[in-house]
Amino acid sequence: MLLLALVVVEMAYFAHAGSNFFTAGNAAEVLRASVEIGLLALALTAVILTGGIDLSVGSLLGLAAVLMGAAHRDLGLPIAAAALVAIAVGVGGGALNAALVARLGVPPLIVTLGTYSLFRGVAEGFTGGIRNYTDFPPALLFLGQGRLPGGVPAQVPLLVTAAVFFWLLVHRTPVGRGIRAIGFSPEGARFAGIPVARRLLLVYVLSGAMAGLAAVVYAARLGQAKADAGSGYELFAITAVVLGGTSIFGGRGSVHGTLLGLIAVALLQNGLRLSDQPAELAGILTGVLLLGAIGANRLVAERSRA
Amino acid sequence: MTSPISRYRRELGVAGALVVLLALLAVMAPAFFRAANLRDLLVANAPVLVAAVGMTLVILARQIDISIGSQFAICGVAAGLLAKTGLPMPLVTAGVVATGAVLGAINGALVAGLGLPAIVVTLATMVVLREGLRWRTEGVWIEDLPERFQWFGLGQAGGRAAIVLAAIVVFAAFAWGLRHLAAGRAVYAAGSDPEAARLVGIHPRRVVFAAFVFMGGLTGLAAVLTAIQFIDVQTSAGAGLEMKVIAAVVVGGVAISGGRGTLLGTLLGVTLLGTIGPALTFLGTQAYWERALQGAVILLAVSTDALPSLTRRPPAAA
Repeated sequence: MLLLALVVVEMAYFAHAGSNFFTAGNAAEVLRASVEIGLLALALTAVILTGGIDLSVGSLLGLAAVLMGAAHRDLGLPIAAAALVAIAVGVGGGALNAALVARLGVPPLIVTLGTYSLFRGVAEGFTGGIRNYTDFPPALLFLGQGRLPGGVPAQVPLLVTAAVFFWLLVHRTPVGRGIRAIGFSPEGARFAGIPVARRLLLVYVLSGAMAGLAAVVYAARLGQAKADAGSGYELFAITAVVLGGTSIFGGRGSVHGTLLGLIAVALLQNGLRLSDQPAELAGILTGVLLLGAIGANRLVAERSRA
Repeated sequence: MTSPISRYRRELGVAGALVVLLALLAVMAPAFFRAANLRDLLVANAPVLVAAVGMTLVILARQIDISIGSQFAICGVAAGLLAKTGLPMPLVTAGVVATGAVLGAINGALVAGLGLPAIVVTLATMVVLREGLRWRTEGVWIEDLPERFQWFGLGQAGGRAAIVLAAIVVFAAFAWGLRHLAAGRAVYAAGSDPEAARLVGIHPRRVVFAAFVFMGGLTGLAAVLTAIQFIDVQTSAGAGLEMKVIAAVVVGGVAISGGRGTLLGTLLGVTLLGTIGPALTFLGTQAYWERALQGAVILLAVSTDALPSLTRRPPAAA
């Protein structure tokens, strides 16, 4: 597969060009950095499979992180409860997207463009643009910065669990088949008896929940929560999904593809940083990679239709 | 035959919201209506209107362009650099419009030529252009611009008049063209049903390409109209512009699914959204809530569009 070749090429190039790239320690760091985007990308896979999209995941992450910080610091909640607040915020945000898309039938593009602004805006308004929540307890910080026996970063089991969950959901349940059917043909899915509105509700709420969970990991990893948390994450998440072979039009794609796409994106960022390349190059190459990926997907689709 | 009231339902709704907002301001913060403030608002929103005209074309054609902010930043920098080479301002403007058109053509080629989805293409070009610009300029502002750069060399009053006039001319020209030229109707046709359009001899892909090119060019013009208001060119200009412009267009009634909407609606949308921000300040609210309000307004506008359909069968997935 083309994507596998890309990953191998990246690894070869960076092993040569970067310092310290091809070590176990660095591999662990690549894994650590990719957990947040990975959580978002897994849920986004289900959303995109229905033919929709969710541009608000990065902003929702920011809002959830900030509200978690406030719940812990200002309301005095224990950190576990505060983390639940983050996930609840994510679920709430996802539900808002879901209600507008599934019940009112508004195109997901414009709904999530609106919530992309709304969530980030509420986070900015709430913190006055400057407030930064920082005193998180060591228990939380371990999740983001610590390592389990064997050198595995502490947040990786979360990603693995989520990956297994989404893989099973999409590839082994009738729900997953329904999700794909909706993306392939919404009307056809309805006539086949699939509860379209309920499935859409599910995928957008899951997307929000993952954003909330990613917010917890983010705050744990950086030790802080500001209104700009998660800025730009939607680009990397969508890139990982599309790179993995999921069609942006819906109906076609896989969770394991997304995981491979995630690795490709994470390797790119990590490798560029270790090769002392400027930070902007990561964004530029990711954008170019995204264009290449949808171009390649398009060619595959044309060929299979011809 | 639909009555004018039902055909322009959305535009009337937005006009109504604007009237309510202005009435609120008249009662609670009459200082808003001072001539200097109104004039500043007019000048600040004129470039937004120009950009919104371009975005209207793109959305009418059933596409979208979220890279407008990055295009705007690059065009602003181009304006400064071109002016420093000694070119007279009319040529600088033409050069920047051309730059914008080229950037638009890149999006257009990928979307119309290769058939790639506009949201993903413009998400990618937004990041590539923005990061590319930052890399190249390292965030340094363009300074030491020639005297004739600011206000087109016409002085503050003359420059302001030129900006507003340019916006009015652009708006009037495109509003007329969309309604009365075959090319204008082609945009509506391609946006509402590309297959049907193709069957009557319209080339939807050419229309889409042209829409992106026009949008780029108009963004370039908007960048010039903004840049000449200051003595330096910020390389970080245009941040958040895509949300402002898309919000204005969508609130003004242009359907995101294409083929429906008017430039009059866009004008009302720009006016309403351009008033909300300053209104917040005059009413004493913190400016940090502006982005949240933008998002809320977008959601409200598209939701009210969809509400009548609740009484009918549940809609299909988008």
